[in-house]
Order: sequence, then structure tokens, then C-alpha cells
Amino acid sequence: MKAVNGKYLFGGVHPKGKKELTASFPAEVMPTPERVAISTSQSLGKPATVAVAVGQKVKEGEVIAKADGAVSSDVFASVAGTVTEIKEAVGASGVRETFIVIKAEGSDTFRFPPLSSPSAEEIKARIRDCGIVGLGGAGFPTAVKVAPETPVDILIVNGAECEPYLTCDHRLMVEKTDEIVRGARFIAKALGVSNIAIGIEANKPDAIAAFEPYEDIKVVKLGKKYPLGGERQLAYAVTGRRIPQGKIPAEFGAVVHNVGTCFAVCEAVEQGKPLYEKVITVSGNAVKEPKNLWVKVGTSVSDIVDFCGGEASNPKKAVLGGPMTGVALASYDNYTHKTTSGILLLSGKEAAAEEPTPCLNCGKCADVCPMHLMPMNTAFYSAAGDFEAAQKYGNVLSCIECGACEYICPAKRPLIQAIRKTKAELRKKN
Amino acid sequence: MDNSIVISTPPHVKSRRTTRGIMLDVCIALLPSAIAGIVFFGWLALMIELVAVVSCVATEFVYYFIANKGFSNKCKDAGKVCVRWWKQFDFTSVVTGLILALIVPATTPWYAALIGGIFSIAIVKMLFGGTGKNLVNPAAAGRVFMAISFAAVSTYTAANIPALNFESGIFTDSTNLSWLLSAYPETKVTVLDLFLGTGVAGCIGETCKLAILVGYIYLCVRNVIKWWQPLLFIVVFGFAAVFMSGFGFIASGGYIFDIKLFLPHLFSGGVLFGAVFMFPDYVTSPKGVYGQILYYVLAAVLVAVLRYFTHMEVTSFVIMLMNLFVPLIDKYLIRRPFGYVKVKKEKKAKTPDERVADAVDALKVDENAAAEISHGKDNENTEKSPAASVQSVNADNVKSAKEEA
Repeated sequence: MKAVNGKYLFGGVHPKGKKELTASFPAEVMPTPERVAISTSQSLGKPATVAVAVGQKVKEGEVIAKADGAVSSDVFASVAGTVTEIKEAVGASGVRETFIVIKAEGSDTFRFPPLSSPSAEEIKARIRDCGIVGLGGAGFPTAVKVAPETPVDILIVNGAECEPYLTCDHRLMVEKTDEIVRGARFIAKALGVSNIAIGIEANKPDAIAAFEPYEDIKVVKLGKKYPLGGERQLAYAVTGRRIPQGKIPAEFGAVVHNVGTCFAVCEAVEQGKPLYEKVITVSGNAVKEPKNLWVKVGTSVSDIVDFCGGEASNPKKAVLGGPMTGVALASYDNYTHKTTSGILLLSGKEAAAEEPTPCLNCGKCADVCPMHLMPMNTAFYSAAGDFEAAQKYGNVLSCIECGACEYICPAKRPLIQAIRKTKAELRKKN
Repeated sequence: MDNSIVISTPPHVKSRRTTRGIMLDVCIALLPSAIAGIVFFGWLALMIELVAVVSCVATEFVYYFIANKGFSNKCKDAGKVCVRWWKQFDFTSVVTGLILALIVPATTPWYAALIGGIFSIAIVKMLFGGTGKNLVNPAAAGRVFMAISFAAVSTYTAANIPALNFESGIFTDSTNLSWLLSAYPETKVTVLDLFLGTGVAGCIGETCKLAILVGYIYLCVRNVIKWWQPLLFIVVFGFAAVFMSGFGFIASGGYIFDIKLFLPHLFSGGVLFGAVFMFPDYVTSPKGVYGQILYYVLAAVLVAVLRYFTHMEVTSFVIMLMNLFVPLIDKYLIRRPFGYVKVKKEKKAKTPDERVADAVDALKVDENAAAEISHGKDNENTEKSPAASVQSVNADNVKSAKEEA
């Protein structure tokens, strides 16, 4: 359908896109690395339990760790080979994770049987079997999201990709348009809805044009603004529904899925391929050849950086994920996850690391907050140790941690740090 | 990858805007007014501006030098301290000094400007914790301090302003000017004169409204202030002032709401300057949008009302007064989060059974209280304790409720 404009959202920031670094490069397939280390914590919820032993031979796509409970997902071998080690180590986010190290040998692959015309139940079972998680970043198991408890009337596909630098979803939308549409139709069938809408930021005209020929897909053109790709913001821009704090969009009849998730569902249903591969963007001024890459889950950051020609200059920051929400890495000895969307090597000019100065009360953080909160109050009371007041005056528990407040802050206050600390302290109390 | 890599919470990219940059922008926006002041009032105005700025910056430097720990050590490597001071210097004191100079008349003696600057920075700003922590606008407080301490020399009539081509003998800082304009049609001051500041007495930076407008546009373009804030203020102020000045005509034959006085009111005195450069001061204005609207409306009405009664530095006084309300406004006008649902208090009509239950509960509580009271007051065995009377009343309630059921 012809693109329509989305609803205007108050707040938000306009960071420099920097998408031109990689937007025009088709996604390359990275050659299989010699060894991969796959974490068992690949989604929100509990880590999966290890289902292989050291020395065991595994096929590409075979289950190596089983989901533990409803909110958890299976983990698959991303290369064929031998399990050489099962170790505990500190992951990128600073939490101890279990890694299964596989040495690549041979090319045996495992696939589930393809489904030709699946029923809703078959699709749901396949999504669970293939360990699909939300690829937008949060990594919520998709199997839970396609079985909502409340009736749903619209499926929103998230093609906003509002984070600067990242172009992996953009490339996917341009190159694999048909697969994404088919995947979205499968999800819609599982949900039992007929309305499908896709939200795409206005700075990706080629992606918008690619989706317009499909008559059953409503294309919504979003303003160029961060964070329009947030679940609540997108649901508002597309449907005009305001999702209150503490609720999920499904309770208001809307389910949001990333384009990457739709593509993974399509592959899972039509080819029986489990989720162990993803497009990521390698970018930043400190990397020699910025690229969009198909990488296997568990590939080490150093392998990826080497494949992209190494460092162009000394990076100030190495980021796993997007620049607004990603994790700063302490070393390249880290591994990609199912949810990794990019690897950025930011040079000193790009990465902000100024010393914070006193808060001016300018209120710019509140102006840009897409959730209409008051981050300066949270930061103030959090520094004073009064976390109850931080919630009362700053409404910190509604925060989606998009980072817009800290981006705009002229005093460079560490607001996200204060918000996370307050949230953790409040959780501890309850 | 070398060891200089930085680890922090996201976001990893930030806007280029800094406090220092914003304050420099404010300085640039103030420049047209400062230059217009020099053009109208001569080198005396430049002298006042320099004295005020230097005194503000020097006070901040001296405070920084003394207030940090290890004063004696610091005297030894004063150079390093200077470098450190320059690194944290954010130009807020330059803004304060410049504003302070622009809201005093050019006849102000240099020592008044010097002491005003020291007061603004040392007492009003640094003692409360420095940048971002001051309760009231330092420049407004400094101006009020000067008006009170140097009343004799900082009163400005046309007589004590040199280099001024002023014919009618009216002073403009206030207020009643606008009705004077209509009361004395022979006055040669026109609205255009007021706008350009030609032939009008007043403070250094406040006379030329054109220069203030240029500063306003610059601040809006640079996104330093929100464009609607000064506009809201002046519109509300204009109508309130016209309304108030109507009372001035009562003596000569009845109340007149004369909208022609709107612009003369607006262009006289320091209202426009305050609305653009002083009310929107980040530190001393409310953080939320609703709070800001309340703040500007209240301030505008207050300026209009006070202006009708007095001539003395109304804008600065109102700025100080309103600044003191800001913590209160911030506390009670909290922004509602996106998708906020108002929690409705459900008021159902109680069924008779519930009323019985309530009455029985109340009875239980009263019994406990009565027990405590009787325990504490064993000696007082008077006719009927208050608790007992309550008890009997409650018993009546129960009875009546049961009858209804």
C-alpha cells in the first residue's frame, strides 16, 4: 500500500545518522570462523541449560542448550564441529555467562522439516523450536509474543531502525523484502490478525518503496527521530494508541515485531532453519572497512574486526550494539549474540567522553524524553540516595532507557547510569 | 586496541552542546543590547559593562581559589589552579555580569557596579553551590541589591543621564509612562522611539528593544530558550498592564481599556529585556512545561500589577520573587508519563450490609481506644468517658443500619 505518515511524537532527539558509512553496502557473508563461543544467555529470561558435552560432535543448527522455562529460548550450534570447551566467563554486559566453545570442522547441517502451508499452531511450535527471539535488541522470546493472552488486532513490523550507524535492518528490508513480508504473514497467521503495518523511518526511501507493492501491508512513514523504533513509540506512531506504563502493547491489541524477527520466522517456517545467523553492521570511523555482515552467533569481535580490515585508528570506544543503547566493550574478546545488531569502533571524535559538569536544570532532558518523564529529578534524588522520591518525581520505572536525555544533556550528566541504579535499588526493595 | 578505551553506560554518542557553548550563545545574544547601550549612552556604558563583567568573573575565580581544599598548597602552584579553573569555567559569570551591567542606568558609579557584581556572584551564586544551584537569578538579585544600597545614585531621571537627547523630562523605567504618553500628548516620545530607544532614558541594555529582539531571535534559532516562553510572558503582561493602566483614567472620567497602550507598555522599562534574558534562565525557572506556563503567567501578571503602583525595579523584584516559587512549582507540577491513565477513585454506593460491617469495624477500633484510655486513666472514674459516648453513638449507627437492611 502507498506509504502514509505516522503520528507525530513529542520528544526525541536527532543524532547524526552516520548511516551513509554502510547504508549502500549489500550484506556480505562472513566466512565461517575457526571457533565460536556461544553464550547460553541469548534472550531475556533464564539462560538455557547446556545439552552437549565436551568432545561431542555437533551439526550446524543442532540444539546445544535447551530452553529453561517459558521465557527462555533454545541455543543452536552456529557451525558444524566439535565442542572443545564449556566455560564460564564474564559476558559483554558484565554478567557471568556460560559459553559453549565449538571448533569448526566439516559442514554437516541440521534442518527442521520445511512446512508448506502451516497452521497457526504449527507456526507457534516452529518459532519455539527454532529459538527465535526479538531481534530488535531486547531479545524477548518470540514464542511468548505470538501467544498473547489478550485479543490482538494489528501486527506492527518495526523497520524504523532509528539508532545511528546501524543499517542492518535497512539492508535486510531492501534485500529480503519478500521474505520479511512472508514472515510477517506467518506471524499474523499465528496471532490470528489480518492487519499488518510496517513502520519505516523517512530516511530509508528505498525500503519504503520496496514495501509499497504489497497490498496487504500498510506502510507507515515515520519522521526521522530517535527513538521512534521503541515499541511504545512505534505503536503510537502507527495506531495512535498510548500504551500506559507497566502494560505491554499486546494488551492494547498491537504486537510489535522487528523486521529481523520476521525474516528469521520466514526461514524457520519455509526452510526449517534455526536462528543462529544474523546481519550486523560493523561501522564507526575507527574501523577500516565498514560493512554489513552475515555473522554466526558466537563469532568473536576480534574476528569480525579483522575481517573488516582491522582498526583504522585507535578507537575510543568499542560498542556491541547501537551507539544509543549498546554495551561498551572492555576488549575484543567478546562474542556476538542472537540479538547483536552491530559492532562500532568509535574514534575519539565520535565517542563522547567529556567530564560531567553541574546540572543547569535546563530541562532539555525532559523535553526530549519520549516517555515524558523528568530524568533530572531522577538523577538528583538518586544521587541523594532517596530512590522512592526518584520514582515519585521522575517516574523512573516507566523509563525505556533510550538514552535521549543523556544524549542531549549539555552538562553531560550520566543520567542513564542514575536511572539504572535507581531501578536496581527499587527492584531490590520490592 | 590500546588501553585508552573508555567503558561507560550508553549512549556512546552525545550532542556537541555544552554548558559553556550555551552560555557563550547567551553572551552573543546580549551583544546587540550592549552595543546599543554604548551607542546611546557613550563610553560610560562600556565602562560599566566591563567593570561588572570583570568583577563577576574575578569573584568567581577568587572563590574557586579559596573554597577548594589546600589553599596554602595552591598558592605554590597557582598556575595549575588557573588551568583547572579555566577548564571548568562555563561563562555563567560573564552572562551574569553582562546582564547586571545592562539593567542599570549608565550613570551608575563604577563602584556600585563592582560591588553589585561581587554580591551577585559571591553571595547569590557561589554560596548556594555555584552554577546550577542558585535559588534566585544572580543578576536580578544583584540589581535589587544595588537599587537598595545605592538608591541615591541609581535612580534615573532624565536629569542625571548625560549624553541624552531627551526633551520631555519623563523617565521611562516605569510604567505609568504609557498613560503619561496619552495624558500629555505634547510628549515627543513615540512608540517607534520606544522601540528603537532613541531619545528615551533608561538602563543601558533595556532601551533598545530592537537589539533585544535580535538577541531573542538568535536565542531561539540556537535553541537556547523556547520561543513561546517570552511571547507568553509579554502577551499576558501586555493585556494585564493595559487593564491596570485603565485605572489611571478614573480620575479623569472613568475606566478605559485602551488597547493602544499595549505596545508603549511593552516597550517601556525592562520588561522585554527580562522576558528574553532573565525569566528563561535555566537554573531559576521551572523544569516542566506546565510549571513554565504557570510561572510565566504569574510573573507577567505580577509585573503588570506592581508596575502600576511603583516605579522601582519591578522586573528584577518580580524575577526574584517568582524564582522563590520555583521549587514549589517543580514539586507539585510533575509531568505525566506517556500513556498515563488517570486512576479514578471508585465511589460506589454502599450496600446496607457493608455499612453494618463498617460500623462494626469502627466499634472495634473504638473499643481498643477505650481500653487504652481506661488503662491509662484508671483513677478517672467519672460519669462517662468520651470514648464511651462514641461507642454508644456507633452502637446507634449499627442499629439504624440493621433496621434499614
